Amino acid sequence: MQPLLHLENISKRYGSVRVLDGIDITVADNEFLTILGPSGSGKTTILRIIGGFEGIDGGRLMFEGRDLASVPINRRPFNTVFQDYALFHHMNVAENVGYGLKVRGRPRAEIAAKVADVLETVGLGALGARYPAQLSGGQRQRVALARAIICEPRLILLDEPLSALDVELRAQMQRFLKSLQRRLGIAFVFITHDQEEAIALSDRIIVVHRGRIEQEGAPEQLYRRPRTPFIAAFLGENNLIAGTLAGVQGAVCRVETAAGPLHATVDGPAPLPGSAVLVAVRPEHITLAAAAPGALVAEVVEIRFLGANILIELRHPALPDTLIKVRRLADGSTARLSPGQRLTVGWAADDAALLVAKG
Amino acid sequence: MKQKAPLLDTLLGLVAVAGLIALYAPLVAVAALSFFQITRVRGVMGFAPFSLEPYAALIANGEILAALATSLIVAMVASLASLVLALMFAFYFVSARRRFGLMMQMMVFLPFLLPPIITGLSLLIAFREIDFARGLATIIVGHIVFIVPVVYRTVLVRLQLLGGSLTEASLDLGASRVQTLVHVILPQMRPALISGALLAFAISFDETLITLFVAGSETTLPIRLWAMMRVGFVPEINALATLILLVTALITLAIGLLQRGQAERAS
Ligand SMILES: Nc1ncnc2c1ncn2[C@@H]1O[C@H](COP(=O)(O)OP(=O)(O)O)[C@@H](O)[C@H]1O
Ligand SMILES: [Mg+2]
Repeated sequence: MQPLLHLENISKRYGSVRVLDGIDITVADNEFLTILGPSGSGKTTILRIIGGFEGIDGGRLMFEGRDLASVPINRRPFNTVFQDYALFHHMNVAENVGYGLKVRGRPRAEIAAKVADVLETVGLGALGARYPAQLSGGQRQRVALARAIICEPRLILLDEPLSALDVELRAQMQRFLKSLQRRLGIAFVFITHDQEEAIALSDRIIVVHRGRIEQEGAPEQLYRRPRTPFIAAFLGENNLIAGTLAGVQGAVCRVETAAGPLHATVDGPAPLPGSAVLVAVRPEHITLAAAAPGALVAEVVEIRFLGANILIELRHPALPDTLIKVRRLADGSTARLSPGQRLTVGWAADDAALLVAKG
Repeated sequence: MKQKAPLLDTLLGLVAVAGLIALYAPLVAVAALSFFQITRVRGVMGFAPFSLEPYAALIANGEILAALATSLIVAMVASLASLVLALMFAFYFVSARRRFGLMMQMMVFLPFLLPPIITGLSLLIAFREIDFARGLATIIVGHIVFIVPVVYRTVLVRLQLLGGSLTEASLDLGASRVQTLVHVILPQMRPALISGALLAFAISFDETLITLFVAGSETTLPIRLWAMMRVGFVPEINALATLILLVTALITLAIGLLQRGQAERAS
């Protein structure tokens, strides 16, 4: 099926600095797509290229198979929720929301009816006569949303819309955004640098790093099977153990490490045997058992009590630079742990991801 | 934190008051003298009782009324034209490449920074060279050259404060460039436009030096005042000076109120 929007191999420079390099993104109809990346990775630039605010230095931007190169901002069937909301301060809420219809020359009665309707949708029914200066941050956010959806665009672009809100309001707006997207059935392209937010909201996540796509996939896929050290460190917490790929059986890989052979799982094509790789295991997926000969035995270095959880740090004699972190629910058995204790560390091969070590 | 230093505070206060007195005493004197004329009876100075006689003489003086009309026309046309030009320059500055923008900005400011006598002289020579008869039109052109930088500054500050994001939001919602200008940019700039126009009006109304060079046979109010002083001191001069003072003060007050309103809305 043809995607709604396709960014084909897009590159972008500011002066001599290359900020986007070979970006390839498809957006499907109805999809909640998140572009996730640290600050300065190029997220806003991608969004501004889609919106038409920035040109490109290479590649193509296709909408339903048509090249958008010659389509100006105001003719693109997308609307943007800007990071600073960019509300018109000399217009009241209803005028702000109705602006898109007004400039299209719709009759007044139709505008009034639609504005009332959309304000109801975003939960601002009674505030049409207020001015932006008289609203709270969360309310302004909703006005910006209402203004963006009123013209029924095919795609809504949101640039870190929640980053200015406090934690509680943020969680509430996340739920609201998700349900709004479901109800409207419009594709959302959402930007954030917050991995938890991305995981909670998205159908699909594209992680960008230094102007390139690092990895993309469904939230769970990205979380369970990071493919690069960057992703493993950016999404949640991981233990990384370096080694050499020794063999592959189906999806399960055998990795030779200083501490002996370990197992990890790879989705898709595996690297060539002999490649330098990393085994990534999450602290909560590691099991602890009594020390046994032939197993991976490590010594407890430190125990941190965190309330509901407990974090145990261990060190293996053959891996002096690697602190193995293990997260457990704090209970009677963890209360008996003590530093200096030797324990067998293990995990299911399915819970360990194989990463390609990059320079 | 504000430290208490009573002695220093008092001293500073005194200096400020003295400065204000030095600045305003001559103005107050002129205004007072327009109502209470000085009399000399056998070498003894005294004040005549309150009278509006100088004002009556002023109104009866057709030449002065004509000069006032000229001044008002010039100030109105020059400030409106400056407003339009300044807006265009400011739009160019925020959208053009940095280097061209800075070059344009320097060219706009130069006539304001040059001594007015040089500006006036160059204009005079230029009009002579192209054989352009001096009169109302040349006065207006001279004032525009001098006023545009001031209005430009006011307008540009506001435009830069607006930033590009409102324009982008408007275009994003489907508006054309013209619709964006009419519905978003100009309304947001209204306070700056009004105070820019008032400032321009006040400067044009008072401008003398450049006008002297380019006026030809036309006469504005300050030029009239200048001419009257040369012939000899008459009470009307005080009345006229007081009137010019009053107009300027009112405009300044209006600008002040406008800016305060703006500051309150912004907070
Ligand atoms: N107008 C610009 N001129 C020059 N460099 C820019 C400009 N806009 C962004 N950049 C640079 O491009 C990179 C990507 O920026 P941006 O897309 O805003 O990142 P993000 O939104 O992920 O934080 C950054 O290094 C930033 O400094
Ligand atoms: Mg950004």
